[in-house]
Amino acid sequence: GPCMSDATRETSITRRALVYRIGLGAAVLAFAPPATATATDAPMAEILTLTGGRMPVASDRLLLDMPRVFANGFTVPMTITVESPMSETDHVRQVHVLAPGNPFLKVASFHFTPDSGEARVSTRIRLAQPQHIYALAELSDGSFLLAETWVEVKTNGCAG
Amino acid sequence: MASPEPRIRLPEKVTKGETFLVRSLITHRMETGLRSDGDGNVIPRKIINRFVCRYNEKVVFSVELHEAVSANPYMEFHILARESGTLEFFWYEDGGAVFSTSRELVVS
Repeated sequence: GPCMSDATRETSITRRALVYRIGLGAAVLAFAPPATATATDAPMAEILTLTGGRMPVASDRLLLDMPRVFANGFTVPMTITVESPMSETDHVRQVHVLAPGNPFLKVASFHFTPDSGEARVSTRIRLAQPQHIYALAELSDGSFLLAETWVEVKTNGCAG
Repeated sequence: MASPEPRIRLPEKVTKGETFLVRSLITHRMETGLRSDGDGNVIPRKIINRFVCRYNEKVVFSVELHEAVSANPYMEFHILARESGTLEFFWYEDGGAVFSTSRELVVS
């Protein structure tokens, strides 16, 4: 996200993911750094459910564009763009959006096809509190990209 | 609640091979199920949970919407202009209601 360098983001997500995986083996858990040592709160259990256990890669090809600060939590603009040729053999299948600080984790899933021409969508979402938002893109080769951005809202968009 | 009203905006003309922008919106409260009325009763969830765009009967773009999509959900997305034909748009509401509209697309 805009609040972090790409290097930081890649490190934090990869490390957090690693921590999660290691955490699955209790014997190794004692040697893993605590999850709180990472800068992010990536909902790795849900992400790995969506990927079927495959590890997503933090990538600049996936852009999750949202305002850093937005007063109205009811209608926060969001644009997702994935760099892709969108051909039959190389395209984006879908992008999931997750908001771990909301009452419900899942925000939306966008399904693209080669007939989309571009893997790009804009909408508006509700945010209950300041939080990291996550976008998870599934590509046609079965790989996954992960991006995050921090959004600070001033009002609880899930309450009223 | 007034009946949901779909709105679509398309370019007036597109050329073959061009990727064009589609703006879609439906007037809808997107009731999350998290609110209470004045008497403390929970207002049941009623949202648009799915949006589908078909181009000559083929699904080219769709969305699963959850509670966090804002009221009057709008989607801006793209379509590759391959041939003239019909664009159909469907909004699926909790409880089974479906709202739809269509537009003729001329590709030159």
